[in-house]
This record gives sequence, C-alpha cells and structure tokens, in this order.
Amino acid sequence: MAGSTRIFSVGEAARAIASTVRADEQLRDLWVEGEVGRVTISSAAHAYFTLKDERAALQCVWFRDDRVRSPFQPQTGLRVVAHGRVDVYEAQGALQLYVDSIQPSGVGDLAIRFEQLKAKLAAEGLFASERKRALPPRPQVVAVVSSPTGAAWKDVCQVFARRWPLTRVVLVACQVQGEGSAESIVRALRRIEKHVANLASEGRATEAPVLTIVARGGGSMEDLWSFNDERVVRAIVAHALPVVSGVGHEVDVTLTDFAADVRAATPTAAAELVIPDRVEYASAIMRGAERMRVAGTRLLVAARRDLDAERRVLDRLNPAVRLAATRQLASDLLDRATRAVRQRIANASSGEARLAEALPNLASRLLGERRATLAEAAAALAVLGPQATLERGYAIVRKASDQSIVRDPAEVRAGSRLRVRVAHGEFPATVASEEERLDA
Amino acid sequence: MTEPNDGTPITQLSFDDALAAFQRTVAELETGGLPLERALALFERGTALHEHLARLLTEAELKVQQLVTRAGGALETIDVAPDAARDAE
Repeated sequence: MAGSTRIFSVGEAARAIASTVRADEQLRDLWVEGEVGRVTISSAAHAYFTLKDERAALQCVWFRDDRVRSPFQPQTGLRVVAHGRVDVYEAQGALQLYVDSIQPSGVGDLAIRFEQLKAKLAAEGLFASERKRALPPRPQVVAVVSSPTGAAWKDVCQVFARRWPLTRVVLVACQVQGEGSAESIVRALRRIEKHVANLASEGRATEAPVLTIVARGGGSMEDLWSFNDERVVRAIVAHALPVVSGVGHEVDVTLTDFAADVRAATPTAAAELVIPDRVEYASAIMRGAERMRVAGTRLLVAARRDLDAERRVLDRLNPAVRLAATRQLASDLLDRATRAVRQRIANASSGEARLAEALPNLASRLLGERRATLAEAAAALAVLGPQATLERGYAIVRKASDQSIVRDPAEVRAGSRLRVRVAHGEFPATVASEEERLDA
Repeated sequence: MTEPNDGTPITQLSFDDALAAFQRTVAELETGGLPLERALALFERGTALHEHLARLLTEAELKVQQLVTRAGGALETIDVAPDAARDAE
C-alpha cells in the first residue's frame, strides 16, 4: 500500500490528526454531558479535568478567562454539560475538549432543548417579524390566558382598572406550570378562538375579544418551561387574535415571547402595552374643549360685530315692526350663544374638577393649568360686551353724520361733529382744528 | 355637514364613537364662517360630547369576566371579581 511506505514524523502525524479533527464541523461546536473526574487548576488558573461516563473519558481544558466569568465551577463527581470544541494539543498529542461554558446537568438540558427548539422553529419562520400582527388601539374586550390564582392575573387587572377601565377583561383560566400545563395553555387559546367564532356567528362580533394576553409571573426556567413547549409556541403563532406575551420577570425569555406578536417584559407591562392611559385622553379631550371654546368665542365676536352693523342700518332706516322683530331674533340668538359658551365653561370646570378628584396623583398639575386657562377665558368672555369695556373708562366715538365708528384720525376733519358714548351716557363733540391739535 | 350618527343619544355612545363625534364637531366649529344657528348647535353638541367623554373616563369601572365551559361544552362569559376567579378551565 502506497500510504504505508511513507514515514511520518511525530509532528506530521499529530498535525494530520489535528487537521482531520478540525475539519469535522460537529466537533467545532458541541455539548458533552458527563461526570467530572479529577480537577486540576494550573498556576495560570486554567482548569484541567476529565469528563467521563460508563464507556469513555474525555480530557477537558477550561481556560482562565472563560472560567472566571462562570458562576458555576466543575467539581469532582458532578454531572455537567460542557460546551466547546474538540481540538488536538499537538505538543502532547492530546485530544481535548476546549470548554467555553459549563452548566449543571439538569439546567443544561433545558438550556440545550431551548436553544435547539428555538433554532428549529426560527428556521421554520415562526418568529419572523413579517408574521407579527399589529395590536388594535383601545381594544374593547381583551382575553387573558393566565392562572386565576396567580399574581400575574391580579397585576393585569390592576393595570386595566387604573389606566383604562373601559376595556372588558375576560380571564381564560389555565395551568401555568407543572405537568399538563402546556396542554392547558393550548386548550385556553383554542377556547378563545371558539368563543370568538361563536359570537361572530351570532352577530355579536363586537362583544368578542380582539387580542389575547398570555400572562404568568416570574419563576425558574423549570417553572416557565411550559411556555417553551413546542405545542404552545405553535398554538400562539396560529392563534386567531394578536398575542401579547407577559411571561416571567424582565430577565426571563421564553419561546412564547418569540412567538407572540408583541413581547412584554412582565404581565404588568403586557397590560400597559395594549391600552392607553386615560389621563392622556382626559387631557386630549380637554384640549378639544379648549379649541371649541376658542372657536365659539371667535364666532360670537363676529356675530356681535355683524349684529352691531345691522343695528346701525336698522336705526338709519327707522325700522318697521318686522325689522325690529328680526333684530330681536338675532339678539336672542346671540344671547343664547353667549349663555351656551358660559355654560360650557362652567361645565368644563366642573368636569375637570371631577377628573382632578378621580385622578389626583396623575393629573392634578395638568388640570390646575387647564382650570386657570378656563378662568381666564370666562373673564375674557365677560368683557366681550362693550359695556364692561366702557366701564373701564373707554369710549366709543361715532360720526354724528352716519353713526359710523371712528377708528382712525384720518376719518375726521376739523369741525366734524361726533357722538361720544361712555359708560353712563352719550355727549356731542367737535373735532378741533389742526393748530389746536398740534398745541395739544 | 350632516350629523354622521344614527340618532343614538350621546349618553349612550361608546367612547370611540363619542370621541370621533367630538373631534368632528370641534373641527367643524373651527372652520369658521358658520351660520350662528349651526355654530350654536355644534357648540351644544360638543359640550354634551365632552361631558360624556369625561364621565366615561372618570366613572368607568373595570368589568372582569371569565370564560367558562358549561356542562355540555358550551362556552359562556360570567362576571367575576378579579380575586375570586374560578380555578377551572
């Protein structure tokens, strides 16, 4: 045989072995489970140990940098799962597992299964962002898949009650941990779908939930495991309604989170994501009321100006009875409008007082500002009528000839006859000559 | 512009419907140049809508229900207190 005639140096043989090992993809990234044999820590703080089972042993090295970062350290006799790559240390001809992380066996199992399932489902496109559905704004009915006795359900209810009690919350009870919990969660999702379909077929679609929150409080990876179950993940992806996940604490990540349309860090955060805050809406409708007041005031000012102009025309025409009636009608209308604006401002003030009472911590500062604005507006409205202005010492100057109001000195000349109206009556006046004006 | 509602009394409008009507009312009032009668009608309607919306926001109480399966398999929602929900599917 041709190969047998070639004599390798030790180095060449070791390199040949090493290159064969390095060419194997499986050996570059693998998990190995076994029992830890004798552990030696070198002066450089690297750990050397063997992993073994009934049939074989594998040399392992765990370098200092990776090792000191790990909360878990190998001890003789422990069952562990180590992750790393297999390589040949040519100087000693040693085949070794170069470890980068180690976990105790039980937890390691879950972590590996998590990663494997995540990779598999991601490859199917189940977690793709294109699949994510938008959440309906201000949902009228929300389904909550949770345990009736858990803290998560109570947290969710509290958020709804505080922020947006206009939404109806429907609990769909299930087991959230332990044997059978994955099936229980899947059944809860199915019940929601059946319920939605039932209501739709009865023409009561508006009473049906429009999104589903899946909620569970924090726990260990084992506690939360049903939310990593493949059946649960598939049921969430296939669910008829958009799903928001609120499973565990901030640090917990489950496959349910990846499968959901929106992931929230906690059950509380999930509830906060799906509904607005009523304080924001309260201030928005107050802004609307303010705009209405401004527009209404503007209309009233314009209407009063028109009415004044009309009155002047009527006065000049020595009005007939019918015209007087028309004027009366216009005047009544204006009075009604003025009352409506005043009433509105009074209503808004009482409405806002109620809001302030109901939402004291959140909105009182905002409401205080709004109330101040309304008070100013009410005062401004009161002075819209000319009488209040006259009371302040202003006068209305008209030409005696046609009763038109004088707004510019250019409208009159020396000797023009005027009528001056002040708060308590009217008197005639004459415009002085240019010389007299200059003297003044 | 016509009133786009079907004659439902304002106090029976849902929040969303009342909010939409309120926004339309304010917007129309802001267009200006309206006859006084129309402006007044809008004002009165806007005021009532504003009142209704404020009341809904402050006086609404959270309604909590549970979806339960009746004997025979029919699904039904029943009113429950948040801390007294049934531990059953």
